[in-house]
Amino acid sequence: ENREAMLNSKSNKLTEALEHANKLFGKVCRAQEAALDARFLVLASNIGKEKANELHSEMSAFDSTAFAEDLLTFMGINRTEVEETDDSEDVPGGFLPSDAWQTVGGEALKYFRRAPTFHYMMGSFKSEPPVPKQRIERQKKASRGKAERAMPAQLKKMEESHQEATEKEVERILRILQTHFENDPNTPISFFDFVIDPNSFAHTVENMFHVSFLIRDGLAKIKLDEDELPIIEPTKPSGRGEEESRAGARNQVVISLDQKEWK
Amino acid sequence: VSPQVSELVQFLLVKDQKKIPIKRTEMMKKVIQEYKNHKDVYSDIVNRAGRTLQEVFGLQLVEMDTKQHTYILVNNLPHAEGNYLCRDKEKEKMGLLLVILSFIFMKGNLVKDSALWEFLNLLRVYPGKQHRVFGDVRKLVMDEFVRQKYLEATQIPLTDPPEFKFQWGPRAEKETSRKDVLNFVAKVRPFWGHLWV
Repeated sequence: ENREAMLNSKSNKLTEALEHANKLFGKVCRAQEAALDARFLVLASNIGKEKANELHSEMSAFDSTAFAEDLLTFMGINRTEVEETDDSEDVPGGFLPSDAWQTVGGEALKYFRRAPTFHYMMGSFKSEPPVPKQRIERQKKASRGKAERAMPAQLKKMEESHQEATEKEVERILRILQTHFENDPNTPISFFDFVIDPNSFAHTVENMFHVSFLIRDGLAKIKLDEDELPIIEPTKPSGRGEEESRAGARNQVVISLDQKEWK
Repeated sequence: VSPQVSELVQFLLVKDQKKIPIKRTEMMKKVIQEYKNHKDVYSDIVNRAGRTLQEVFGLQLVEMDTKQHTYILVNNLPHAEGNYLCRDKEKEKMGLLLVILSFIFMKGNLVKDSALWEFLNLLRVYPGKQHRVFGDVRKLVMDEFVRQKYLEATQIPLTDPPEFKFQWGPRAEKETSRKDVLNFVAKVRPFWGHLWV
């Protein structure tokens, strides 16, 4: 507060304030008050510094207003015309042309040892080629690319958490089985048709592995049909009671299948 | 010229576009990218890059801050007469900057922000008002010029709202001199030029 009053070079207010603070400090008995005193000293010294600065500038005889006027002249101001601005504030002194700052700027460049900013003459070169290349490649290899991307992604998932992946697979297989049955109820699917993957033996084994979970959990059942070939069908979502009674009818089946048979 | 040197040269030229000083850690990261180079090899590459910059582009790689190890590119060619190839936006900003630097210098090398804005108001530049050429002038002065190290702004303690003091930044010290600025002032005010030493 009273900053302006203190700054006035003719006033002694700063000295008075310092003397007053000194007296008060004698009465200080708590740390809080001492901190306040320290704060006051910082403020006082800043004001003191400013006062000293003002003293200096008064002696330097640099008239910034006149300098500003000369700058405007340099920029090509037209003092006979009054500038029309969007807001209705009065702009005294004339019309400043739009290239005013370019005029100063052009002169200013001579006084700086400024490294010219580096720009590619033909526009930025680096970022363009990769983009069209990617697009072309994508168009050609659309389907192939997707499959490739899908497989590594799947593999990654398996590495991350074996358990989760298995569960997901089991769920997926259950869903396939259920969908199939929705479309064609009362026609159980041949077990072998269901699990065998004509392209991959390993995948076949995997499928059997997942199906075994379904059986274990009672979500699907395998029966033997007339030809003594196993068929698989999803269990109906009946109540808990029925499931418990079925639990006794579980059997264990060992299926062996090697690559020769598979083929 | 080894590829690492060329890469570093290009890196420096591109980094210099925004005129923000380049940190040594950034340069080291760029050089040591692929190989685990020793520090000696790094300094050798930097030296050679500096020489390339000088011989091919006429630019000097200058360590601006020896404590923080930041670098800038400075033009080492003698001032040529005639127009400088420079974008208009840049030109105008340099004009404003020179005006500010002159003001700071003539006012004893340290000015309060209020004094600076008061002066710029006389030139129809207002901190609160969008300028036809410069846009957000306050941002340009407080943010851009300060980040580029053309100006240095120090906050006056215990002021609320915060007030600042401005002085020349280290880049200004390297790219121009008080003598140059005085020449500029004299050119603008030929009549009064002789009044002060």
